[in-house]
Amino acid sequence: MSRNPDWVKALQPSSPQGHELLQQERSSSKLAIEPLSEFLFGREAIERKFNVLQVLQSEPVFNKSQNAFDGRVQRFETALARAKKLRRLVVKHGWKEEDRRIAAELIGEPLPYALHEGMFLKTLLEQGTDEQRKLFYERAEKYEIIGCYAQTELGHGSNVRGLETTATWNADDKTFTLHSPYLTASKWWIGTLGRTANYAAVMAQLIVDGKSCGPHPFVVQIRDLKTHLPLDNIHIGDIGPKFGYNTMDNGFLLFNKVKIPHVSMLARFSRVDPKTNQYIRPSSPSLVYGTLTWIRSTIVMHAGAALAKGVTIAVRYCAIRRQFRDMDAPDSVVEEMPVLNYTLVQYRLLPLLAATFGLHFTGKAMMELYQENQKSMQANAGKGDLLPDLHAMSCGLKALASYTAAEGLEVCRRACGGHGYSSFSGVGGFYADYVPTTTWEGDNYMLTQQVARYLLKSARAVLNGESTSNDTTNFLTTFRSRSDSAPVFDVLNFDADLVQAFAWRAASMTFDALKKRDDQKMAWNDLLVDFYRLSKAHSQYLVVKNFFESLSALQTAGSLGTETPAVFRKLFQLYTLHTLDSESSDFLLSGAVTVRQIEQSRTTIMRLMKEIRPHAVRLVDAWGISDFQLDSSLGRYDGKVYEDMFHRASELNPLNGITIDSNPNSDVLFRSVGGENVKSKL
Amino acid sequence: MPDFTDNLKPLYDGVQTLVDERARSKINVEELAKHLLSRDDFYERQKRVTKILEGEPLFSKKQNLNLSRPDRYHVGLARAKALRRLTLKHGWDDLDFRMAEYLVDEVSPYHLHNSMFQQTIREQASDEQKAKLMPLVDNYEIIGCYAQTELGHGSNVRGVEALAKWDPKTKEFIIHSPTLTASKWWNGSMGRTANYAIVVAQLLLPKASSPTTYVNHGPHPFIVQIRDMKTHQPFDGIVVGDIGPKYGYTSMDNGYMLFDNYRVPHSAMLARYNRVDPDTGVLTKSGHPAVVYGTLTYVRANIIMHSRLILARACTIAIRYGAVRRQFKDRDAPNPAAVPELAVLDYPTVMIRLLPLLATTFALHYTGEAMYNIYWGTRKSIESGDFSKLAELHSASSGLKSLCTSFAADGIEVCRRSMGGHGFGGYSGILPLNNDYLSKPTVEGDNWMITQQVASYLIKKMETVVKNPNAASKDSTDDLFKHYLKSRSSKVPVDIVRFGQVDDQAIVEAFRWRAAHLSYLAYEARIVNKGKWNNLMIQLHKLSNAYSQTFLISHFYDAVMKSPLSSPTNTVMHDLYRLFALNTIDSDSHSFAATNAVTSASLDRIPDVVLHLMTDKIRPHAIKLVDSWSMPDYLLESSLGRYDGRVYEDMYDRVHRHNPLNKITFNPDWRNEEIVMGSGSGTQQVLAKL
Ligand SMILES: Cc1cc2nc3c(=O)[nH]c(=O)nc-3n(C[C@H](O)[C@H](O)[C@H](O)COP(=O)(O)OP(=O)(O)OC[C@H]3O[C@@H](n4cnc5c(N)ncnc54)[C@H](O)[C@@H]3O)c2cc1C
Ligand SMILES: Cc1cc2nc3c(=O)[nH]c(=O)nc-3n(C[C@H](O)[C@H](O)[C@H](O)COP(=O)(O)OP(=O)(O)OC[C@H]3O[C@@H](n4cnc5c(N)ncnc54)[C@H](O)[C@@H]3O)c2cc1C
Repeated sequence: MSRNPDWVKALQPSSPQGHELLQQERSSSKLAIEPLSEFLFGREAIERKFNVLQVLQSEPVFNKSQNAFDGRVQRFETALARAKKLRRLVVKHGWKEEDRRIAAELIGEPLPYALHEGMFLKTLLEQGTDEQRKLFYERAEKYEIIGCYAQTELGHGSNVRGLETTATWNADDKTFTLHSPYLTASKWWIGTLGRTANYAAVMAQLIVDGKSCGPHPFVVQIRDLKTHLPLDNIHIGDIGPKFGYNTMDNGFLLFNKVKIPHVSMLARFSRVDPKTNQYIRPSSPSLVYGTLTWIRSTIVMHAGAALAKGVTIAVRYCAIRRQFRDMDAPDSVVEEMPVLNYTLVQYRLLPLLAATFGLHFTGKAMMELYQENQKSMQANAGKGDLLPDLHAMSCGLKALASYTAAEGLEVCRRACGGHGYSSFSGVGGFYADYVPTTTWEGDNYMLTQQVARYLLKSARAVLNGESTSNDTTNFLTTFRSRSDSAPVFDVLNFDADLVQAFAWRAASMTFDALKKRDDQKMAWNDLLVDFYRLSKAHSQYLVVKNFFESLSALQTAGSLGTETPAVFRKLFQLYTLHTLDSESSDFLLSGAVTVRQIEQSRTTIMRLMKEIRPHAVRLVDAWGISDFQLDSSLGRYDGKVYEDMFHRASELNPLNGITIDSNPNSDVLFRSVGGENVKSKL
Repeated sequence: MPDFTDNLKPLYDGVQTLVDERARSKINVEELAKHLLSRDDFYERQKRVTKILEGEPLFSKKQNLNLSRPDRYHVGLARAKALRRLTLKHGWDDLDFRMAEYLVDEVSPYHLHNSMFQQTIREQASDEQKAKLMPLVDNYEIIGCYAQTELGHGSNVRGVEALAKWDPKTKEFIIHSPTLTASKWWNGSMGRTANYAIVVAQLLLPKASSPTTYVNHGPHPFIVQIRDMKTHQPFDGIVVGDIGPKYGYTSMDNGYMLFDNYRVPHSAMLARYNRVDPDTGVLTKSGHPAVVYGTLTYVRANIIMHSRLILARACTIAIRYGAVRRQFKDRDAPNPAAVPELAVLDYPTVMIRLLPLLATTFALHYTGEAMYNIYWGTRKSIESGDFSKLAELHSASSGLKSLCTSFAADGIEVCRRSMGGHGFGGYSGILPLNNDYLSKPTVEGDNWMITQQVASYLIKKMETVVKNPNAASKDSTDDLFKHYLKSRSSKVPVDIVRFGQVDDQAIVEAFRWRAAHLSYLAYEARIVNKGKWNNLMIQLHKLSNAYSQTFLISHFYDAVMKSPLSSPTNTVMHDLYRLFALNTIDSDSHSFAATNAVTSASLDRIPDVVLHLMTDKIRPHAIKLVDSWSMPDYLLESSLGRYDGRVYEDMYDRVHRHNPLNKITFNPDWRNEEIVMGSGSGTQQVLAKL
């Protein structure tokens, strides 16, 4: 039943209509969307996504319209129903893991089984022995047990070696005792733990014969499989409401001297020999490296897609939103300007649009490199391992990419003006769920120290003439050989020079930092800000380089014609020059460019924005993000922005079913629902 | 229920940590607090009102983040009513009441009633209208809102689509929404609460020569009753409702409203300045008074004073937590086993995020103070219509609004992220701050848009000075521009840092020079080279920011030079000035180089000086500096930012004992439809709500 009278139903937005405007936008550019999407994501992935979407859209439980109205408890309840439904769909349609992941992405909220499906299964598989896989993994894979990954504690997150939970080996009865000696030893932030899981992979300090052997993983049952109540001396709960992630039951967990059998310690790499009571060290610690590198590479690629959500919404909306006439327009022009035509709006959005592609290409390249390396390692029995380089790159890129996406999403939200503040924009809630990516899998600031350590090591090797040749040592060597003569990079005319300038700046900053650390013997701690900047410079170089290299792939892909590669060249230049401008002090200091070149780059940026502008809507279309996933009035594919905003506000909004008493002297609050005592909610 | 966790303690004692921190610094907190917060007796007033609110269970904030949107509004309305009753009970004046609103820290459903609605009537109603309306407003016998923005127009007020057409026959205005985009939108207190609204609509009057042709006289304010006083239902011909969930403002019912040829009497048009003669249908205007500019400047000074408290709150939480939170041992420690882990506030990558923001709180403070002083100091002449003394400040105030609210909005998020995982948690206390404050860069003039006003003012000024370099200066900007034009050709960049010494005065000059140079470039681009406005916007935005920064820098510098504070506080304040200034320069060093303001050698030295200022000069005082902002724990509502440092104990208490989710046992088995264990109810019940 509609709440709106007929005269309201008859109203239309004032002309021009949003759908006409988007049509015009789409016809003002000749970029072919389909081949471009295919180039970016591959035919198979696109079809997969399409099929999964059809199924999800036909299931009412995935209707998102009430998400932003619900309280914490309701949100969780609904999310659990969705998680269960998704699992049933996976079984019903015989979906692969990839389909499930796509489905989760489309549903767009963290679901209560997520840590079971991600970290728990992965940990069992990677760190369990064959026996343990049989015992735990096989049941977990069928969801007969539901697990989580409990590493972080109330007192420690970044510093994993500082974890306080202990697992003490009892030689007499061949068990471990799990214990939380302090309040800060409580596990904390653990996804899926708060209300859902009955098992946990727990990281605890292994103590054998009074000696600490560092953190190790243990598989522990934590709740009764029938009653779902916590087992004795185990204390569990949800950690409460959060900035985002409110559909997830991140939890806490405390142990009061809980005994677990020997088989609980995941023993693929290190173990306690029950006969000798000896601790046996890990054989190959770098394997863990591998997983981390892989996860961080996926974060880089995903950052492009995450940012693309915000950019899609903001670009489409700003193409429709009109505000003010052009100051310099003749009086005969009465129509207002689409705000996307204001250079001040373009300046915020178009470099981000370019960044979505830069991050995508970079993430993809990283993942390919990783896989190649895995293969060649197997073939060459571990020789020529690129993993240390890849690992360092992935640390810096994870930090840069997630930072770019998180900051960018907020820029997109604000670019939408007042309506960006509405939940119906779809940006704010998504930002809140995305932003912890800047903290987990290595806090972004912390990670930069690993990059710096790697670069300093490479630089030392170059100085000592002991370096093996790879991209990093190459640009460091080039810098060394040319550092006497000031370089002349023609950054405004040659793309390759632009890439060189980024390499030059990174190299220059590396040697500066090295001098401070090795010659001036500065404390590590006093160099953290330098390291942070250095890591950023290096990662920006990597994005620029990968973006540049993908241009030739675009060109040689026969399906794309000439216009698409030309536009992508401009996107590359825009991203790169915009970065150069905002980091100009580094570039000046390193002597990679001159003050004059920076001034000129601003003119070039203006020209590039003007040339990219007509393609903006088609470029976001190429990301192929469905309306179901966007869940946004402002970003709808069809441009019916105002109709949808109004529909949601007037028809789907439970608040409008309530009549209140507005008089301050009356204690009645809600009349039509009445009776309920407000204080009971506090 | 007691359990084994009751006796657990944190590994490190947060209480002792903060005690030690406070013992390390000799800053006199009370002196500094009064220095910062004495205006309008803020300091004492806050204490008094906090005490009352803390005693009222209704104002407990513990469950806010768990509640659904309708519940938040429900509770919000209860609190709004209770505040009104407390006002009467304790005989609160307006400042007390506003203090209470600030401390409750939730946007009240009555908010627009006691702000824009009241203010508009006071300023724009005729004496006759005022006599009738003000008593009803003051006693909350009617509840009002302010309906200007529409679905299709916000920034461009002249573009609103709602119409108010004069009907000479019945002597009524017909208020009408011709399109869907003409729907009022975003208007606070309107969705469910108000029964009156100020409606801004295009005034249409018949032409004298041809009465069937209507002429548009632009947007005007009308007061309209929108809901029945008894049933609280909207009248026929009006559709009004709440616009749904938002990024923040959860307790507020921002609304939409449409009119179907809805008739209101002649008296509905607020007629202090513009009046339609009921007999002739002719509009008479008595002009727009300069007083309005005065008010606007004052409002913007308020926004800046508010932004300093917002940023100070975020800093208080992040800095206290940063001192308590320990993570990793010092890599260079000679005997790592013997030392505790480092407080994360001791890492320069944490300091560089937080300490410049802390310095910014003081920069905002001194500029806000200066604006108040100028405003109150020139009020007499403003009231008599002489606006000239305020002109410079007024023109700068839109740029300052833009810059300062962006500082605070962005700063909140920097503080939040600096706290790692726990900053993301609901007990950080920083979430409502983020959610509610992030509207500020958009409202009261979009931050990207309004900077154009400053730029066009500066371009005009530069044009005048260029044309007539010998005319007498009207203000300091004229002085600056004259000086600039005279020394342009002979300018050499100056050193602001040499041999580790910072030249404070030279910094002020550098900022002023840069602003003048950028003004000249803008003048050249627009006036001399006839550049298109749209192509200059980015440059103009940067100009506005640069110009606004000169105010922050020079007011901060003046305050430091004349500081009444005792030692060591005055010295620390001086260091904060340097940190603020140098960090600002460092983040835009290209523009200081390109405008010839500062030598590149100085620019190269800044990072080292900044590091030294942070680690050696300011870090030891960080806790006492935030203490001076005197944020009551009641306001903070934060485990992480508590005054006493009981971070982990408090967080655990809230999670364990006050979290409704933990009262429910769920059924996690995917094969079982049941959601809540033992309830038998499942997906069907969930579906019913969707
Ligand atoms: C939504 C969410 C879900 C999560 N899910 C899980 C989960 O399922 N399982 C799990 O185990 N964990 C989980 N976590 C925890 C997450 O991994 C940690 O929060 C993360 O590792 C950061 O650690 P921290 O919170 O201790 O930050 P801290 O280390 O306390 O960081 C605080 C500040 O100190 C700085 N800092 C710390 N150390 C240094 C240093 N050496 N040098 C310079 N600066 C430093 C950081 O930059 C940061 O600014 C989750 C977190 C969130 C927010
Ligand atoms: C929480 C909240 C409460 C509010 N309360 C009220 C209320 O009580 N009463 C009321 O009447 N209104 C209210 N508003 C509305 C508010 O005043 C407007 O949202 C605000 O003025 C911004 O206008 P807009 O939304 O039209 O933004 P738009 O103007 O549509 O902005 C969209 C984008 O275009 C850009 N842009 C626009 N014009 C230009 C230009 N000329 N040059 C360059 N760029 C430009 C902006 O920078 C922005 O990025 C409220 C809004 C919010 C978010």
